[in-house]
Amino acid sequence: MKLSELKENQMARVVKIDNSLKSLKKRLSDLGFVKGEEIEIKRIAPLGDPIEISLKGYSLSLRKKEAEKIEVEKI
Amino acid sequence: MDSTNLERNLYLTLLLMEMEKPMVIALNMFDEFEKSGYKIDLDKFRKYLGVDVVPTVATKDKGLKELIDKAIKVAKSKKQYRKMEYRLLFDKFIENEIDGLVEKLKKEELPNKYPLRWLAIKLIEKDEYVIQILKKEIGKDISPLAKEHIMAIEERFDDDTETILTEARYGIINGILKDVLKKPKNYNIPFTEKLDKIVTNKYLGLPIFFALMYIVFKLTFDGSGPFIDWVDGFINGYIGKYVGLAFSSAPHWIKSLVIDGIIGGVGLVLSFVPLMMFIYFFLALLEESGYMSRAAFVLDKIMHSIGLNGKSFIPMILGFGCNVPAIYATRALENEKDRKLTAVLVPFMSCGARLPIYALFTSVFFVKYQASIVLLMYVLGIIVAIGVGLLLKNTKPFETAKSPLLLELPPYRIPSAKMLFSSTWIRTRSFLKKAGSIILLAMVVLWAVINLPSGSSPDNSYLAKAAKTVAPIFAPTGFDRWQTVASILPGVIAKESVVGALGQTLGVEEKSEKEKASFIEDSREQILGLTRAVIDSFKNMFGSLTPGVFEIESISNSTFSQKIKSVFTPLSAFSYMVFMLLFIPCIVTLAAIKQEFGWGLMFFEIGLLTVIPYIVSTVIYQGGRLLGFH
Repeated sequence: MKLSELKENQMARVVKIDNSLKSLKKRLSDLGFVKGEEIEIKRIAPLGDPIEISLKGYSLSLRKKEAEKIEVEKI
Repeated sequence: MDSTNLERNLYLTLLLMEMEKPMVIALNMFDEFEKSGYKIDLDKFRKYLGVDVVPTVATKDKGLKELIDKAIKVAKSKKQYRKMEYRLLFDKFIENEIDGLVEKLKKEELPNKYPLRWLAIKLIEKDEYVIQILKKEIGKDISPLAKEHIMAIEERFDDDTETILTEARYGIINGILKDVLKKPKNYNIPFTEKLDKIVTNKYLGLPIFFALMYIVFKLTFDGSGPFIDWVDGFINGYIGKYVGLAFSSAPHWIKSLVIDGIIGGVGLVLSFVPLMMFIYFFLALLEESGYMSRAAFVLDKIMHSIGLNGKSFIPMILGFGCNVPAIYATRALENEKDRKLTAVLVPFMSCGARLPIYALFTSVFFVKYQASIVLLMYVLGIIVAIGVGLLLKNTKPFETAKSPLLLELPPYRIPSAKMLFSSTWIRTRSFLKKAGSIILLAMVVLWAVINLPSGSSPDNSYLAKAAKTVAPIFAPTGFDRWQTVASILPGVIAKESVVGALGQTLGVEEKSEKEKASFIEDSREQILGLTRAVIDSFKNMFGSLTPGVFEIESISNSTFSQKIKSVFTPLSAFSYMVFMLLFIPCIVTLAAIKQEFGWGLMFFEIGLLTVIPYIVSTVIYQGGRLLGFH
């Protein structure tokens, strides 16, 4: 499933990042979205977008549009 | 690096180490690191990295001396100066491919400032930037050399090389940290968690943001107001008066150039200093505490719809007080295109200095609806900003729609006073230095246009002559009398001067008090004035609830009002107000844009802020006439 489909407080593991946007893929993996990484949806912004993700011991916010490119599996 | 977030911070360190430059690592915020229960084996850590590591606490000056000493030592040891031994190797298969490419690169003539292993890695990662730079430097594209190695790695690991190497780096980092770092059992930060639950709450998030913005807005503009008035009085009333006396025997035009042009210009620049200091202080507070990122998180959806991101909201709001600090506040935005678009839209926010114009015209023509008309101006500015944002967001130089929001939400921290004040001072100083000179120059040029030839009456100056020539162009907007056209240019100096300029071109005499000169008494008055400013500033900040910027002073000069009625109709007055709302706010705003973004964007802004007000005023005047207004 896609990262954007997860709900608040759900945990997931990164499977892969969509290849269609090379520069975005590179940035996301630099930021720590690498295969097998365990992440948590901490919260969704009051207006429904963006979302806050906790990974590698820090918090990152990204829009659903970008989160759609990240394939995850629930854990 | 931030020691409380080693895994993420080491990634950049690793990239830097691949460049084989000598380095010393500062493990900053080490106090927080220890307090939250982390333990690190520094000796082992140093051995892994092959680099010296110094724990520091920058806010408390801890470890800084040791850090600097070690950095000097490393820089001086000649052996290591150009190259650092790199110890953190990738997987054997990848290293073999890198070595293979390095052998090929050895045969090429390459600038020896780049380590070959690093070049090989970048080529394997298909790094566009490095490939382009090399092409420029050696006049040849060497990226095909890497092709075979890229294919070998991609086949083996079934992904693209960029991702494989990134994953491999994080793998190396995890390996090291597993061995040297002991994490506390519960390593999330409870205070940040709790505060975020409130601050980004579904129902409270937006109200909290608006409440905080309101407080910052009020404290900034009301707190700095009395100091601005004092600086203005000190330079123009006090310094200007005595310089004027010193020049009393000089020709009139020299005296006017010195007092109105130069001292006026210096006064204009300096009068912004209190405002800049207040705004920079509060911006630093918002940034350093960590709230700025939350504001962006909460508001992103709204701002994204016009091509901006959540952080653009803050400059926009500040723009209602004054556009100048708002332009500088765009520094909070990371993405250059977001910054530019925000800066372009800021001037449409109706600043406090435009109020006297609205006050004058509404009190002459729209007494009954004064408040509604003024409110309408603010709304109109916002609507035009949204329109221009929508138009520009898909154009090449701004293209913000495509840039992703990847925003780190750092833990909340209490900023140190030292940090806040030094940030305030550094930014204010840079405003004085960089914007100051441009403003001064422009002031002298504008002075010449408005006041020359010397001794001429208001309808004989170069400005009046030019206005008479240009006036027909303004026919569609309804205010095409030369007097009204001539009042536009002084508005570029500062919007406050428009009312005075109209008074001058319409021949309204200003009441001038007889000046008595007593240097000692005046000096004492200035010092007393400064003390009063401090008291008033506190009173303003904490004494009342509404921001003073929005107070409208009514103009009750009946001859002035008669003269205004002789050159404006209600409809053309409204059209003129709209023009002034959308026109170049002032030369200080332009100087700020030049300082932050360069000449190109400044001229673009001048064009935009001339064409748009002309079009909108024309539409309003012509539309109004069709609807039967006059």
